[in-house]
Amino acid sequence: MELYSPEGLRIDGRRWNELRRFECKINTHPHSADGSSYVEQGNTKIICMVRGPMEPAMKSQVNATSSTVEVNVSLANFSTFERKKRSKTDKRITELKTTLERTFNECIMGHLYPRTLISVTVQVLAQDGGLLAAMTNAVTLALIDAGIAMYDYVSGVNAGLYDQTSALLDLNTLEENDMCSLTIGVIGKSEKLALVVLEDKLPLDRLESVLAIAIAGSHRIRELMDMEVRKHGNMRLAKVSV
Amino acid sequence: MSRSIEISENQRKFLLESLKHGFRLTDRPFDHVRDISLYLSPTEYGYVEVSWGKTKLACRVTATVTTPYEDRPFEGIFTINSEISTMASMRFDTSRSNEEILIARIIEKAVRRSNSLDLESLCIIAGEKVWEITVDLNYLNYDGNFIDVGCFAVMLALHHFKKPDISINGNSIVVHDINERQPVPLSILHIPICLTYSFYNLTDKESNIKGEDADEICLLDADLLEELNRDGSLVITLNKNRELIQLSKNGGLPISAQQFLELTFKSMKTIDQLTDLIKTKIKEHEELRYKTENFKLLEASADR
Amino acid sequence: MDITEVISITKPQSSSQYNNIDESNDDSDIEMGESSAGGASAGIVTPGELITEDPIWMKGHGTYFLNDSTYSSVAGSVSRVNRLLSVIPLRGRYSPETGDHIVGRITEVANKRWKVDIGTRQDAVLMLGSVNLPGGILRRKSESDELQMRNFLKEGDLLNCEVQTIFSNGIASLHTRSLKYGKLRNGIFLKVPSSLIVKSKNHAYDLPGSVSVILGSNGYIWLHKTLANTSTTTTVNQNAAKIQGRDYAPGQGSISITRLEEESSWEIYSDQNDPNITSSTRSNISRYYNVIKALAYGELGITEQRVILGYEASLAYSNIGSLIDRESMEQICQEVLNSEKMRG
Repeated sequence: MELYSPEGLRIDGRRWNELRRFECKINTHPHSADGSSYVEQGNTKIICMVRGPMEPAMKSQVNATSSTVEVNVSLANFSTFERKKRSKTDKRITELKTTLERTFNECIMGHLYPRTLISVTVQVLAQDGGLLAAMTNAVTLALIDAGIAMYDYVSGVNAGLYDQTSALLDLNTLEENDMCSLTIGVIGKSEKLALVVLEDKLPLDRLESVLAIAIAGSHRIRELMDMEVRKHGNMRLAKVSV
Repeated sequence: MSRSIEISENQRKFLLESLKHGFRLTDRPFDHVRDISLYLSPTEYGYVEVSWGKTKLACRVTATVTTPYEDRPFEGIFTINSEISTMASMRFDTSRSNEEILIARIIEKAVRRSNSLDLESLCIIAGEKVWEITVDLNYLNYDGNFIDVGCFAVMLALHHFKKPDISINGNSIVVHDINERQPVPLSILHIPICLTYSFYNLTDKESNIKGEDADEICLLDADLLEELNRDGSLVITLNKNRELIQLSKNGGLPISAQQFLELTFKSMKTIDQLTDLIKTKIKEHEELRYKTENFKLLEASADR
Repeated sequence: MDITEVISITKPQSSSQYNNIDESNDDSDIEMGESSAGGASAGIVTPGELITEDPIWMKGHGTYFLNDSTYSSVAGSVSRVNRLLSVIPLRGRYSPETGDHIVGRITEVANKRWKVDIGTRQDAVLMLGSVNLPGGILRRKSESDELQMRNFLKEGDLLNCEVQTIFSNGIASLHTRSLKYGKLRNGIFLKVPSSLIVKSKNHAYDLPGSVSVILGSNGYIWLHKTLANTSTTTTVNQNAAKIQGRDYAPGQGSISITRLEEESSWEIYSDQNDPNITSSTRSNISRYYNVIKALAYGELGITEQRVILGYEASLAYSNIGSLIDRESMEQICQEVLNSEKMRG
């Protein structure tokens, strides 16, 4: 099976610079969380819920100068092609968790909420590539929905290099398994990278082209998320003024 | 719960001020690695001790014969155990903190997942008997930067290690003692080297996020004080063939894509240096052994 | 890299009734013109968006700045009042204000104070000196009080109280120094978004059907059986009744005011519910519960009048449980709005 045909089509019919279908909703769980969101990037589906800022559950989490961000990642057993039970202390999950915590600690204006805890729960319903990127997007939206002050959006996407030559944007599982995958998280409209994760080999001289298309893809995702936030916000404003 | 190392505000400010003025407290250039001292065991194969400045660790490679995984009958088994005990620092204890798991994962991605060790060469009888290579990392002293030192030590130890020679008799294997037959070095496909860069934001948060100029300070190979005060870090793993094995910037201070690319290109120089260091050290060690253990006498071919 | 290099396919946007969807380019500066005093501007801003580059504005909540540029840090509507520029977030936790009548739950018994969960970012504190202790208000606090704090209020207890002050770190300090405040009994608790509670002079109401409600400003609501002896009947009246009824013997009960506080105080911290709550009262309480939930679902502001209107509308449903269906909830909200319109 060819991942990238000579005509420039991938297995799902996309071009090299085409994003998968991106759908997002915010305020999906108004009663069970302060902020919530649902993101679909292709077939990767993620629910995110944010509670806080709230009183920390454990005294050890109290930070006198800033809020503490706690992320819990849960991969559903049915999220992959084969059903697989995952333990909570799985190394991969811990790495994802720590990455998200450290990313959002930088982007949330924590000094406005000292001695509080912001608890983020990410529930992955389906995985089809681009997991960390989709989680980043879901967390950003949920934090915005909760009204927690942030410097800017953090939008994520992954990109890869096929056959040492062609950069491909937004990989799905089949593509991820076969080629290197670079996931980035970009701050707002800038080119500042909040997170970069590359697994598998990539020739150093090709890094720039893969990074470039990934940044462009992140900016587009940020636009799509922003549209949804505005749509939702305007709807709410209209309701309130009624 | 592990005790965290408390750094006083004074120390922190002093460090950041010096960085602002362009020098590190140990007066090392920003893009230099610390002094490296290596110890390769002269008596056994596969034991090395590596020190980068005061960070010291010991690495041992062992090999046993075992049955392969069912879904991979042609490949050997390669595992890396990296556990940090309280011996290294009060910061680490028996519970695996996120920090430790991250270190273990990065080293694993750099060495194991990148296929630096050729697993197919470890196969003895397909589907039945393969070599299982286990690398144990023991962290002896923590002065910052376990990832780089760990990865370096693993590669050095793998080069140093030699597995016993094997002869196959039908379905049974005979493992020859190292004194009986010369042991065989491992087949290493490439040498990944990790470099950790630490970032510091000396202006305010808003300038970092929205400002145009990249004012972030970037240090290579942070020691303890620098590591505890950093705002973000980036681990770049490269090999001499200009291949990026992995990149890990797990959150932390945002840096511009430009600066990021520059760092990766700049790293090549240090990567080359360190790879050469491993190779020369191993070569020296080989020659030393050759002389001291009179390998010349063991050689089957005679000088003509 | 040029963003137009990326292809993304999205659903067709329906022509929006809200002409506020910003399709303009990235860094468009909102036209300032003559800044008017007061009023929010149309449309919302999102985090990271540049609001203005005019240095004349004072930066309020929801914004941050770099040099002269002011950016938004939350998603919300921009508010320009006099010279203060701030962004009001669309959603947020309840923020306590002095004088708010609220319902809270004890989470912790600490040294000379209780920690109370009132739905804010940090739990509020209720100082030992801010509650009525059994024995009258003039009683001094003793050390045994500190050790016996759990006998008054323990973890899990609900109480209604008032916000006395707010400390500089944002933590609210509560007090129950009035007979209308104190531990709650004989009822059921529910939570609604705090933005739906309309602030008014009075927050405790008696509703038809011998049910009373306390609408805490923080969105915590307590529905309970109406007290048989309301605060209007006091010990004085009871004793007066006895005197008139000729059962009175001299020395039986006194009429002093301190005694009055004392008698009521012993019961304030009781954990016993009234054993005589009739099943009709209970079903009324359930009905009100579902009605308030329906109003919250329809995102209508909750007032005493609307609760009563909703109750009357709900009487059409004989099965109280059916009130939680989405259609029933929508129906009730619709009826409430219609009744309000009719009444003018």
